[in-house]
Amino acid sequence: MSRSIIQCQDVSHSYSGKLALKRVSFEIIAGEPIGLVGPNGAGKTTLLSILCGFLMPSSGTVTILGHKPGDSRLCGKISALPQDAKFDPAFTIGEQLAFLARLQGFEVEQSRQEAERVLEAVALKQMLSAKPDTLSHGMAKRVAIAQALIGSPELILLDEPTAGLDPVNTRNIRSIIMEQAKNSTFIISSHDLAELGRVCQKVLLLENGVMSPMQHNVAETEGSTGFITLQMEACAADELMKALQELKGVIQVSNPQKNEFLVEYLPEKAPQMDIEILTCLAKRHWHYRQLTRGKSLEEKLFFTD
Amino acid sequence: MRPNFINHNLLICQFELKRLFATRKGWLYLATYFIVWYFILFYPIRYAADLLDEHRSSAHAGSFFEFLGFGSLLDWSIPAFGVYWHFSLIFFPMMSVAIAADQTCSDRERGTLRFLALRVSRNGLFFGRYISFMVIQFLLILLTLLATLLIVVFRDASLFFEAFNNASSILINLFLVLLPFTALMADLSATVKSARQATVWAILIWSFLAGIISALSSYLPVLGQLKILIPGYQLSRLAQLSEWETLQLAYIPVLQAIILLIIGRWIMQRQAL
Repeated sequence: MSRSIIQCQDVSHSYSGKLALKRVSFEIIAGEPIGLVGPNGAGKTTLLSILCGFLMPSSGTVTILGHKPGDSRLCGKISALPQDAKFDPAFTIGEQLAFLARLQGFEVEQSRQEAERVLEAVALKQMLSAKPDTLSHGMAKRVAIAQALIGSPELILLDEPTAGLDPVNTRNIRSIIMEQAKNSTFIISSHDLAELGRVCQKVLLLENGVMSPMQHNVAETEGSTGFITLQMEACAADELMKALQELKGVIQVSNPQKNEFLVEYLPEKAPQMDIEILTCLAKRHWHYRQLTRGKSLEEKLFFTD
Repeated sequence: MRPNFINHNLLICQFELKRLFATRKGWLYLATYFIVWYFILFYPIRYAADLLDEHRSSAHAGSFFEFLGFGSLLDWSIPAFGVYWHFSLIFFPMMSVAIAADQTCSDRERGTLRFLALRVSRNGLFFGRYISFMVIQFLLILLTLLATLLIVVFRDASLFFEAFNNASSILINLFLVLLPFTALMADLSATVKSARQATVWAILIWSFLAGIISALSSYLPVLGQLKILIPGYQLSRLAQLSEWETLQLAYIPVLQAIILLIIGRWIMQRQAL
């Protein structure tokens, strides 16, 4: 799986003269899930809508699996969770999912089974005969995710898949993505950076309609220095920073937010910095909440000098 | 196997028929439709047909109906169908504007169209819905014609073949008459946000188009020919024809429907879903 599935070249889009996307160019290779992040109004939903074929770009070219978005040859190969899309209130969930499966080429009986399968995947099989207006917001979101799982699409675009979901269902959706990612490439737009950090290997950053020139790799270290993010229980920040600063190999310690510390160090001088930090904390009877190698995705994307 | 354009149209058509015949909202529409037609069939049509039957041989009656503008009623071999024809030329276009107003707009506003657009081309969606609404209207016309046929045959069984012939000519003609009305509503539905807006726009377009063309033709008479673009332009002439003669004007709705569907397809291709 190393072929290009999405190619965007100088894609721009404007709403009533206001530019929402400015000459966005990028290429996505089939494989691990990719995150799409950016502040509100950055153009994420616009970009996903263009990729799905719901919107025509004002200029530029988009190719998905070798075809233009919306091309009938993409039927069944691409699926999506569109933001705020709702099902028809006149029909049951099962009828509508089976109908969508039929449109993808399933036979009558297979389409019913497929509707059951995808509803089971989002733990909503009992809602097969329910009407959409009887579902809560979270349930409706999961049903919309279920429709994106019909068949075996090569590319699945999810716009805010975990927004409004409870932690149990967020975890459930995460495991569905991880499982399906063996066969499909996911592009996930979300504000939940912690969630994206868990699922995605690469992240695209969109700000004010402009795509960041580089794709951020979630796991990789930055240059010759290493980072450790430390979350503490309530503690004296000054004392802790002083103690950490005294450790061998530490370049600097910062306190980006309350009870969270970012330690920058030289890995060749202190290859076991995590152990040293934990030892330091243990000596002073300080309690930590979480210790993570590397910067948080939030730090990496938005607060890198 | 990936379904093609025709398969998609058939599936969309099946689903829309299910909406009419197997949902609570659909049953409500059907009940209203049948109650209205019950009164039309058992009062105006039956009594007018009786009246025509009694007086058709009288010269006075002929001139009376001519005076009222309904002289062509006497040309129908079975008066009940003549009366049905005149009623239906007003009723069905109005019904078409009402029921075909929501071909895509509420689904687009709700976002449901996005789920469909991931699986069906925009052409498939537009034409699938259009064909569905034409099939639904065909079935509704067919049911009322069967009811009229039953009334006629119940009174005189020997008229069955004549009645069947009349009913067939009306069925085909009404289907053709509704093509441009449904196409115009498909265009408006692809443009506006709700069925109500589509209906209001349809009324405004008819009124202004007719007014503008009339005004222009008073300066340049040749522009009066543009009236051929208005759906229903031929209805007053159609009312003067009977039985299979009515097909003489079939080219007008077909031409209008083709133009409107080309415009609708263009709108649908560019519309944000």
